[in-house]
This record gives sequence, C-alpha cells and structure tokens, in this order.
Amino acid sequence: MKLTNMFKRAALAGAIGASALLAGCSTVNTEVAQTPDTINGMKAGGHEYILTVTRPNQLHIVDTETNQLVRTCDVPGIFGNGGIAMSPDGRIAYVMTNKWEDVYGFDITNCEIKFSAKQSYDNVTVKSFISMAVSADGKELYTVQNPVRKLSDRFETMAPRLAVFNTDDGLNAKPVRSFPVDRRITKIGSMQNGEVILGGGDLKAINPKTGEMRMIKALQNWDRAPDKWVPPDAFAMHTMGEHVGEFIMPYFTIRWNGAPGDESQADFLWGHVRIDTETGKVESFETVPFEFIVFNWVTDPNDKDVLYGSFNQLSKHNLKTGETMGVQAMDHTYYNINMTGDGKTIYIGGTSSDISVHDAATLEKIGSIQLTGDMSTSDLRLARLK
Amino acid sequence: MKHLKSFNKKAKMLDQATSQNEVEEVVAMQSIVGCTSVNDPGWEVDPFGGLGSLCQPMESDLYGCADACWWPAQVPDTMSSHPNWSQDVAKANEDWRKIDSVFPEE
Repeated sequence: MKLTNMFKRAALAGAIGASALLAGCSTVNTEVAQTPDTINGMKAGGHEYILTVTRPNQLHIVDTETNQLVRTCDVPGIFGNGGIAMSPDGRIAYVMTNKWEDVYGFDITNCEIKFSAKQSYDNVTVKSFISMAVSADGKELYTVQNPVRKLSDRFETMAPRLAVFNTDDGLNAKPVRSFPVDRRITKIGSMQNGEVILGGGDLKAINPKTGEMRMIKALQNWDRAPDKWVPPDAFAMHTMGEHVGEFIMPYFTIRWNGAPGDESQADFLWGHVRIDTETGKVESFETVPFEFIVFNWVTDPNDKDVLYGSFNQLSKHNLKTGETMGVQAMDHTYYNINMTGDGKTIYIGGTSSDISVHDAATLEKIGSIQLTGDMSTSDLRLARLK
Repeated sequence: MKHLKSFNKKAKMLDQATSQNEVEEVVAMQSIVGCTSVNDPGWEVDPFGGLGSLCQPMESDLYGCADACWWPAQVPDTMSSHPNWSQDVAKANEDWRKIDSVFPEE
C-alpha cells in the first residue's frame, strides 16, 4: 500500500527528528531521558492516540494532540469487525479481522505484526462477536468464541466459550485454556483483579484461570416486578471506558407508572451499568430519558455524573438529575464515541469514513479526520503509549 | 391540516396518508412486525414512531448492517454468505454507484 509506505517514511523522519530532540533533552534533565519520549517517532510517556479500523482493511492511528493520522497499518484478511483491544502499555493493538474470525496484534509504532490467531479450524467456523480483551498485565488475550461445525447435511451450533491466548505465543497462537460461557456475549473487558467482564444479557465476571463465574449485575434476569418494569434491552456492541478505567454498558427499559402497557404514564429510560475496572465497584443508573438513540456512552473524566452519547446527535447528560445538558446535531449517523483522558476532546466514529472531533464543553465540532474507507462496525479506542 | 386544503392529486394522497388509520398502521408495523421483518422502504420507523432516529443517510449504515449480519434479508451479509461483497468499495457514501446487488448462484 502506497499510503502505508508514506506513513512509514513520515514516521522515520519523525524518529530521526525526535531522536535528536531526545539527545538534547537528556543533557538537561536525566529523568526525562529515562522514559522514552518517542518510540519509532511516536510520542510516548502516556501520549494518547485514537485508533480505528476502516475498509478495505486498515488500522489507523490518530494523534490526539494534532488530530492528524500518524500511521496506517494494513490488516490481513477481509474486513470485519474491526474490533480493537489494547495492551496495557498502549503499544500493541489487537485487531479482529477476516469476517470476525482472526486476531492480529500490531505494534502501533511500526505496524509490525507481533501476534496472530486464526480461530477457525477443520470444519469448525469460529466467530467472535466483537468480544475481545487483554488482561491487565498484558500477558493474556481473551475472546468469546462462537463455533459452528459444518457437517455434510447440517450445521451444528456448538457451545460458546471464553478462549485464553498467551500474547507471548506470537504468530499462529492457539488457545491455552477455554471455559464455557453464556450465549449472546458481545462486550468484554478486563479488571485489575484478573477477572474478565462478560457483557451480554446479564453482566457477569469469569476467572480466566479457573472458569469460575459470578453475577455482576442481572439485567435480562433481573428480579423486578414485571408489572412495573420491562426487562432491559442491552445494546452491548463496543467496549470503551479506557480513558477513565471503567467498563460501561447501556440498556433500555420502561417503568410502568400506571397499568403495564399504558405508555402515557410510563417512563422510557436509558440505564447504565458502570464497573470500575481497578476496584470492581459497580454502579447502575436509570435516570436519562430515552429521547435519543445512542450506541454508546462515555463518562466525563472530570465529572463522573456527566455522560456523552452519540448517534444522529451528540448529547450530554447529567446522570444524577437526568438533565440533558446539551445536544449537537451530527453530519450523519455515527455508531461510536470516545474521548481523551483530560476530558476536553470527544471523538465520534464508526459507520462512514470520517471521525468527527468535538469540544466536550460546548459539543461544537472542532475538526474532522478523513480516513481511507468506512469504519462500519469498528471500534474507536484510546491508547496511551507508555 | 384543518385550515389547509389539498390542491392537487399528490397533496390529497399525502393528506390521506396522515389519517388516523394510517398512523395506527405505522404503530402496528413498528411494534409488532418490526423493521427487519419486511423489505418495504418507507415502512421503517424508529422506536419513537418517526424517522429522526433512523440512520442518516443509509450509506452510513450500509456496511454496519452487512458486516454485522444485522439485516441479512436486505443487505448481503459479509460475515458468512457474501464475504467479498463490495470489498472494493471502501467508501459507501462516495462510491455507492459501484455497490451491486447479489443474485442466487446457479
């Protein structure tokens, strides 16, 4: 790809320049020199990048300081789904590709492929519906596998399972462990205590060493009076929350204040479950009115009572009061949203070929990042390159 | 519409389309049939019974429906059955003329 080569050349030039800068700094401040300011020309030391995947099948890395595309890596296989899970050092991006079947781990500083796993085997097709996460220590990669065996006269739908890979196994890695899990799991995340959060009909956690599972928050199977509440409908498509160290999952429900089915007296509500991935603390809210379609929420790092959502509008909500604090019309539909760790800038992507950049305080559009193709179902993740 | 009178044939048809019976039909289609059960453009409505929360434009939702096998009856599913469909069209909103239909293989 010509484009990739162009970015490689740019990165090389940047690396040469940055090396000279680093050498200059080291004579002034030795502490700075101990932490690499740049890696292969990319600012490190916790510098933040936004990552996404587009058709035909490329991983893009955007610098959040300049909102410029700094690197594009070609991803093997046919596009799909474009899910991304980051290593804790922000250097390796694990990308779901080839019709939701294979995973490739890219060094985002030079596009080198450090890891790969083809999940399908023999006559068994294995799809992972977005569900992919890296352990807090970066040593393990998790996917939820949905296998189907193709027999001569029928398809045999097999039981879904959590597959555990060692990230050090490099290319053509195979699962080292697997454990049965529920169906319909799409959104998973890792906690500091080693557990993996499984987001589906309910929210559960699994110990990836033993397979032991526990309920975090019952949703589809919640214990509420059916004449007062409609069971939640969770749209758990993309994983996010890395900018504040949380796992967040929205759902929709109805509270019948009158007779069940009497919509005139009912409250239509967005609910959310938030899990602090460091402490394991779980919060849930049902305060935001269902006036907007959103695919995802992100929490304001400076005020955790404030959430942002996007779809046809970018909207800002107060969780405690239910107040809609602001609405900004979008140029077109976007599936995905993320923001920087300082809470100043919002990035909105998915669907088409442009990332819309917004000021978090005013919601005004402040930039647009044009990409080589449509993001479709891809993730929009924040990486802190250490 | 109380103080407005339909002038031509098309306006009369639009007026009729907003009659109470038609509204109830839309509500029924929205809540009972659902948008994925039919392939009848114009009948799809959002959860609020309107159009404002549908994906806009449809090109911004096309690959999101194909890649996720979201609407397999209306859009070729690239996850399993038609993996190569439109792989050479990177931007649906710019190159939508190049996007083709799929037909049963003989």
